[in-house]
Amino acid sequence: MKTFKTLIIIFHLLFFNNLYANENSERNEITKNLRCLICQGQSVYDSDSDFANSMKILVDKKLNEGLSDKEIYSYFKEKYGDWILYDPGLNKNTYLLWLLPILIFLFGGAIIVKSFIFKK
Amino acid sequence: MIYSVVGHYSLILGLCIGLILVYFSIQNFRNFNQLDNKILSFSFLQLFFVVVSFFALVISFIISDFSNETVFNNSHTTKPLFYKISGTWGNHEGSLLLWLLVLTLFIFIFLLRTKNQPIKYKILTLVFQQVIIIGFFLFLILTSNPFNYLFPVPNEGLGLNPILQDPALAIHPPILYLGYVGSSIIFSSALAATTLKMVSTNWAIHIKKWVLISWIFLTLGILLGSIWAYYELGWGGFWFWDPVENVSLMPWLALTTLLHCILVLERKETLTSWVIILSIATFTLSMCGTFLVRSGILNSVHTFANDPERGLFILIFLFTLIFLSLFIFSVFHKPSQNNQANFFWLSKETSILINNWFMMYFLSVVLIGTVYPIFLDVISSQKISVGPPFYHKLIIPFLIPFLLMMAIGPKLKWIKSDLKDKIYLFSLLVISVLISFFIVKNFNANVLVNTILISAALYLFFITLRDFFNKKYKNLAQNIAHFGFSLLILSILFNNLFSSEIITNLKVGETYNGSKTKIVFESINQKKQKNYNSIIANFRITNSEGINNNLSPELRIYNQPKITTSEADIKTTLMKDKFIVINLVQNQDYFNVRYQVKPFMLWIWLSVMIISLGGLISLLKKRT
Repeated sequence: MKTFKTLIIIFHLLFFNNLYANENSERNEITKNLRCLICQGQSVYDSDSDFANSMKILVDKKLNEGLSDKEIYSYFKEKYGDWILYDPGLNKNTYLLWLLPILIFLFGGAIIVKSFIFKK
Repeated sequence: MIYSVVGHYSLILGLCIGLILVYFSIQNFRNFNQLDNKILSFSFLQLFFVVVSFFALVISFIISDFSNETVFNNSHTTKPLFYKISGTWGNHEGSLLLWLLVLTLFIFIFLLRTKNQPIKYKILTLVFQQVIIIGFFLFLILTSNPFNYLFPVPNEGLGLNPILQDPALAIHPPILYLGYVGSSIIFSSALAATTLKMVSTNWAIHIKKWVLISWIFLTLGILLGSIWAYYELGWGGFWFWDPVENVSLMPWLALTTLLHCILVLERKETLTSWVIILSIATFTLSMCGTFLVRSGILNSVHTFANDPERGLFILIFLFTLIFLSLFIFSVFHKPSQNNQANFFWLSKETSILINNWFMMYFLSVVLIGTVYPIFLDVISSQKISVGPPFYHKLIIPFLIPFLLMMAIGPKLKWIKSDLKDKIYLFSLLVISVLISFFIVKNFNANVLVNTILISAALYLFFITLRDFFNKKYKNLAQNIAHFGFSLLILSILFNNLFSSEIITNLKVGETYNGSKTKIVFESINQKKQKNYNSIIANFRITNSEGINNNLSPELRIYNQPKITTSEADIKTTLMKDKFIVINLVQNQDYFNVRYQVKPFMLWIWLSVMIISLGGLISLLKKRT
């Protein structure tokens, strides 16, 4: 058992050191969160349409201008509306979206504790 | 022409038999000494007519009978035979006919194979199933008749969407539907059992088989869809939290919850209301899926047919079914008084409840994420997108305790338990954390989150792995499924962390020189196939160790409809996939090349197969 575990550790260390981090990773992170507006449910990152390609160039340009990712998101939001962002921010339109699942979780926990575990 | 007529009248006859069956069932229900033979024969006859109708459509597709509107819209004479056949269910009308086929097939098998259960129960299950079947017959005949006649007869069809002309997608719908529609039996039978007040351990043992069958098919169906998306959509992703993907995940989550819950009911008579609610929910979610996909309110990569009128029909039908089931549930279901629903905090029952609790949370995240944008759009006409970041943020933190519980839970005993091997369990946890830290620390990204996540998954991996040697064949099915799940999460995490990608523009003969990788665009060939022309690009890729790979992605220009698709070339090895895809750039003489190295891709598919293997073993296991 012990040798087996050591083997796994060695294996992992050997294998993963060969891998390398992404080039363009910042741009990729941002374009993954932008919707390609002319595609059917694809992100800018995933799409190769002309629209997506020009968006990628635009994101590169904005990054070169020294904008942070937040500033880039709000730039696109102003230009195209919320529809373009895959990560809906927390605002009055989305309170329910973000909080309802958490409330359901808490509610479910309460039911379980009340009716099954501490039931007298 | 003749086939369309045969198919159309078979549908009408099938509908009539549905009504006759309901009548006979009610007769038989009153004097219930034995199951009326007529019921079995009529069920068979109904199945027969649906089969005839289905094959009439298949033959119309094979012979390219363009007097049939469905064939005209979705086929073409130059298509290969295989895709002519798969085109039968590659469209709205045909896929609904397939629904109907599976519905009638399952109820017939149910009637044949169910022994040792009261006659009343079998009859009532049949009645509820007939309600669904009749609904679908009406839906088909009234709003989406696959046998509409076209005159004058066109010479050529419009063709099938090329991205559907693919072997994985040809068998994806039938497999997925076996899972979706299989849950209808669980629905009907749960309603029948509720009405007759026989939701008991005995019933749980009986219905568990059907739960497992649907679950296995649903798992494999989702897997096939995901594999298809991976190599056909051309972006190397396999799950995008796309609404249509979510819609297939929701019944899966409900069904998985039900499967665990039934384990408790199998042993003692508790949680009855919850089991019924889950049975109803699973099928309702399958129907919702059909509604959302078919009505066209979703914006998705996978939506191929839509029509608001059909959406309205399914919506009304769906509400009828929900209303019917809630009515039956509230009128007939009385949780028994001697219900000993008092669980000790450390017991298998409690751990299953915790499983249910988390699964319901995941389900609510997926459900709310999928339907919320639709509601917001309707109410305030504001369009928002809910994509991967939303699901990741809400699901990943909860996945960590969930994985740990998955490791510990099965070790507990029923009723009251004590945790044995505490030192062992703890030391494994420490080892998992250490290994994860070593793996993650070489990468700058998010060390803390990734370490915790990978540790939790590794922990489950080690514990289940050890149990294979430890426990011999006890609980083998469970252990395999949980092992598969740990492998799935690990593969996805490693895949996410260690994938790398190069995007560049190349002309023929040019070379891309990256820091670690060299890509040579060697040559280009053209080939003419029966229904498309293809441009094949040949690349030689040299990695840092000097190993050469030749990859040849393809562009296909289909003749009918005129659509260009890019076919990725993927070199799969045990440890990583090399994925390359090219695209035409308009008015330019270069190609856009996207090359990805994706570790552990194969393991994502394999682990899902291992998970379903767990289900299969549980299904085949003889009860001791």
